Amino acid sequence: MTTLTFPLSRIEGHARVEIEVRNGEVLSTRFQAMEKRGFTLMVKGVPAEQMPVIVPRICGVCSTAHHVASVKALEDAYDVTPPPLSSTIRELLLLGQLIQNQATSLFVFTMPDRLGVESIFHITTQEAEKKVQFNIARRALMIRQLGTDLITLAGGQFIHPVKAVVGGVSSGVDPEKAATFQQRIHEALPTACELVETYWDISLRMKDRIGTWGDDQPAYYITSTNAVKPNYDASMIRVLAPDGKDAGTFTPAHFYDATEFEETDYSYAGRTSFNHGVMRANSLARANMTHSLDTPLADGFLTRLRKEFGTPAHPILLFDLCRGIELVYALERAAELLDQPLNDADTDVPYLPKDGEGWGLVEAPRGPLIHHYVIEGGKIKVGEFIIPTVHNMLAIERALRVAAERYITEDSVNMELEKAVGRVVRAFDPCIACATH
Amino acid sequence: MAKKTKAENNRALPQFAVLQLSGCAGCEVSLLNASAWVKEFELVFMPLVVSAYEVPCVDVLLISGGVRSDEDLYNLKRAVRCADKVVAVGTCAISGGVANLGNRDEVRELFLSQNERRDLPRMLPKSQPVDAFVNIDLYLPGCPPTPELFMAALFNDPDFKPSKTVCQECGRKKLRDMRPKHLTGFQRGEVDPDICLINQGYLCVGSSTRGGCRALCTIPGHPCVGCRGPSDLLIEKDSNAWLESIQRVFAALTDIPPQEIREGLLSPQLALFLFQFSDYAGTGRPPRPKEKVL
Repeated sequence: MTTLTFPLSRIEGHARVEIEVRNGEVLSTRFQAMEKRGFTLMVKGVPAEQMPVIVPRICGVCSTAHHVASVKALEDAYDVTPPPLSSTIRELLLLGQLIQNQATSLFVFTMPDRLGVESIFHITTQEAEKKVQFNIARRALMIRQLGTDLITLAGGQFIHPVKAVVGGVSSGVDPEKAATFQQRIHEALPTACELVETYWDISLRMKDRIGTWGDDQPAYYITSTNAVKPNYDASMIRVLAPDGKDAGTFTPAHFYDATEFEETDYSYAGRTSFNHGVMRANSLARANMTHSLDTPLADGFLTRLRKEFGTPAHPILLFDLCRGIELVYALERAAELLDQPLNDADTDVPYLPKDGEGWGLVEAPRGPLIHHYVIEGGKIKVGEFIIPTVHNMLAIERALRVAAERYITEDSVNMELEKAVGRVVRAFDPCIACATH
Repeated sequence: MAKKTKAENNRALPQFAVLQLSGCAGCEVSLLNASAWVKEFELVFMPLVVSAYEVPCVDVLLISGGVRSDEDLYNLKRAVRCADKVVAVGTCAISGGVANLGNRDEVRELFLSQNERRDLPRMLPKSQPVDAFVNIDLYLPGCPPTPELFMAALFNDPDFKPSKTVCQECGRKKLRDMRPKHLTGFQRGEVDPDICLINQGYLCVGSSTRGGCRALCTIPGHPCVGCRGPSDLLIEKDSNAWLESIQRVFAALTDIPPQEIREGLLSPQLALFLFQFSDYAGTGRPPRPKEKVL
């Protein structure tokens, strides 16, 4: 038996892929999360009200989602309902996260696979391509920066936001700043659309070269966004069956009843399944379960996706294209929200902390994220983090097997496999810091 | 992949690498928010954004995250061997950061017993800062450090001087006649946009925290948790000096019992950051010289 090991880069965190092969037969494909910090244990005994500042440190990429999920879990435990304006500002926060994340995944993580370079920051010495590449990098970073700046505008600190607090948010958004930001988005939207078009085109060229969109069998899909106009500040989780039929809806408190979870002995991350089948979260899940985004440019791209691939669509490289659609959506939606008055009403209500249990759900860029706390004596007795990347673990390993079987024969291993492993994993945009927490 | 050396690379631009140990990648995300380096530096190693698997010799090595596993330690020791300048980036690299919550004995026991996996990096008994193992030339404090700080470290700007404290950057009005009797925090609801957060009963430590963050937390109404560490005045002193300095500010502006402030300052959210330059990490080493801290 031979074990092929592939270190991974251009993903969040430390992970690798191991493929076991005997006489050309693929015995196993394993996705190994290689780090662990132990937040479930670290938060034991922490004053519950400090969680919204501590848990963003689970992940600097997904910090905003953890911040809001944490506040929502405490609000659930304390029975407090935040005022409507605070929900709008939290939505802006989550949109900022989505812009930053999808731009990073598209242009920093996966664009190099399509351009055949090691990094978007490694500008080639070939004059002809240099200009094209530099032009992409410059514009990609500009769009990404918009996401970060939106998080700062709505959330205070730029990586680990602080403005969501139990009972609401600590302040509104100044009208002048909102107007300036909205103007920036309007100016950037054409560039974002061009970049997404470019990405779509070069993805098509890559597909022609490798001969596949990453075909894999259908899977369950899971999201907490609505079918029309996604709500990232979510309350219910929906599942779509592989055949495109509705497979149920449940609250975050029923997550453990509705799914199966297991640890493995080869990874610091566990894995979830639905009806003992493979499920997928993240952009393609949302696209398959959304009828309309309700913004013109993003809906244009969504219609194009439907036309070209049907619905539900299953090839895994479509995850990447769907991130592009969401990038455009998030910019359009943020501009809409910034048009509303954002500091004319109460942003937070008083509350009384109490012991009990709370569940907080948000749709993070990678899928439904749940924080579950049990509070005793004002302190965290149980702090659990249900992470969307964990829902994709089986899907990643199955897609890796499809790729391995494509490139491994009895006689040889086609070295395209190394690239394929990178493409497969990046399509799911896993977050290892979150998955292992 | 063959290990690159400086000689093989294009030397037109200075080179830097980013070694990420156990952390959250927030420091890396902050670096990506500073794009001024893109044309001035060659980024030769940073697995988050570059497909490269060995740290080559570089002009500047940035290290983020704490030393949690045997692999972290191995990578750290290898990476510093031929770097001209070694920079510890962010709270985790400087003091262990949030991972210190896992260093509590009762947690450590469970953590170590539950985390052993086939063929994977093994956990060390404790999470530790990088200077417990290697020499550091420069510290970039913050959770995460601001993009401006990254630029100052890369460009070696001798004139770089962040403002002294967060308080000075915040600009909220301090009142002598609005004296809360207890810490109330967000339980009251609305935050007044103009008045000092301490006057409103929040445990804000911006008065002695290093500035340079543009008071991003306090201006929109969240008390400073001290993520940039102490100001130059306190950085070489032990943690009690900082505690006392914060206590004095609260005594001047509030009637909150000192014990209540002290308990708050020692609670995890603040303890994560407050003691990052003194004795919290339990290394027994002397404080870092302030000249080395940006």
